[in-house]
Amino acid sequence: MRRAVRSTAVVGVLAALVAPVVADRDSFPLSTYPMYARNRSTEVSFVTAQGVRGDDDLVPLSLGTIGDSDDPLVVAGELRAAIRRDEADERCREIAARVDDDNIEHVEVVTERHDTVVRLEGGESLIRRSVHAQCEVDT
Amino acid sequence: MWSRLVDATAPPERLAAFRIAVGIFTVTYLTIRFPVFWGLADKSPSAFAGVGPLGWRDEPLPDVLIKGTLITALAGGVAMTLGYRHRISAPLFAVSVLVLTAYRSSWGQLLHFENLFTLHVVLLAVFPAADAWSLDARRSGGRRRDPTTYGLALQLACLCVVTTYVIAGIAKLRLGGGEWALGDTLRNHIAYSAVRLDLLGADGSPLAGPVVRNAWLLPPMATLSLVIELAAPVALVGRRLRNLWVASAWAMHVGILALMLIGFPYPLFFVAFAPFFALERLVGRIAPRLAVHDEVSAASDTAEDGRAGARRPAGGIACVRSRR
Repeated sequence: MRRAVRSTAVVGVLAALVAPVVADRDSFPLSTYPMYARNRSTEVSFVTAQGVRGDDDLVPLSLGTIGDSDDPLVVAGELRAAIRRDEADERCREIAARVDDDNIEHVEVVTERHDTVVRLEGGESLIRRSVHAQCEVDT
Repeated sequence: MWSRLVDATAPPERLAAFRIAVGIFTVTYLTIRFPVFWGLADKSPSAFAGVGPLGWRDEPLPDVLIKGTLITALAGGVAMTLGYRHRISAPLFAVSVLVLTAYRSSWGQLLHFENLFTLHVVLLAVFPAADAWSLDARRSGGRRRDPTTYGLALQLACLCVVTTYVIAGIAKLRLGGGEWALGDTLRNHIAYSAVRLDLLGADGSPLAGPVVRNAWLLPPMATLSLVIELAAPVALVGRRLRNLWVASAWAMHVGILALMLIGFPYPLFFVAFAPFFALERLVGRIAPRLAVHDEVSAASDTAEDGRAGARRPAGGIACVRSRR
């Protein structure tokens, strides 16, 4: 293979890899790799879904129940996107259909704001809780 | 540095070993994640926003196309790994993997741990990676091209790896600044990951709590991570620096897995770092029968190197040897 061709190939691949950084546009499979790059406060809002029993106690649901996946990135990302698109009710019903616990009467799709460090230190971390959707669990 | 990139030579067995490693990894990955990829066909259309090669689409692909692409990817991956009809199977595999991984990232969450192996699969599709250790080579007697061809393929694979890490480091400096390395950012990310898992009904890392309570440990770890990412190009410079960098990068991924339960399987299983090493010699050591019986053996490697005018370094130098 001629040297000019090899040089062009190296320059081309390098340019393609760097292009998203220059354009400041994350994509796939060429990326700016922004994951965990930003500074983060200890106070963070999380989207999740929780089960609610008859006595109003909250019951955590599993990743599979919330997002039909074992990947937390996927589950959280899709739930966040559903809330953003104003489709929390529809997502809530999908989650409720996957609940397999007779004690859970309904499901809530929520955003909870926590102090993450306080939570890991065992303290009371919940700062704010807002409910986007609530739906019954069919028994 | 430029000459190392452009004039590197390698025997066809080295590129073949890389092809086999990437093929086994990717086929295994697709097999394990088969239900996830298969289930993409059932997702809500309103959640779809195409990315990368699917950026032109604002609605999902037909179900049958996605399921067909998954089957094609698995069949093409097995064929590419075995080196069967490489000129057809490798591009087929590359396009299938590219479509599947881009499609999976088109539902509101870019999955960055799939970038690097996708790039390597695409790279392997445009190079003659089945000139040795393949069914194609057995059938044709094993064609041997200019060793710079194999060297270039491996160097480009290395370039993808080091550039990826440098970009990740630049992102931290650009978005986080000095605070990322010297402040509480890493502690907060670890705490965030643990609490997110907790609230999503999964278990966080058991190490997250103790580490967050001893936060003085974390700024040095953050600084070291940043140095490892930004210093990735040293892996292209020489053998010792390559070994040091690869060991450091791997250890960084182990640390991320231990503290945040975020696994990057491609580097964790060393496949991402495979193009930096003379894999054919490793295979020759651990599977001598394979090396003896194959028509293209380690002995021909020496002959190839001689023809290319390269001096054989002890144990293979960074990535592949330079021709000049």
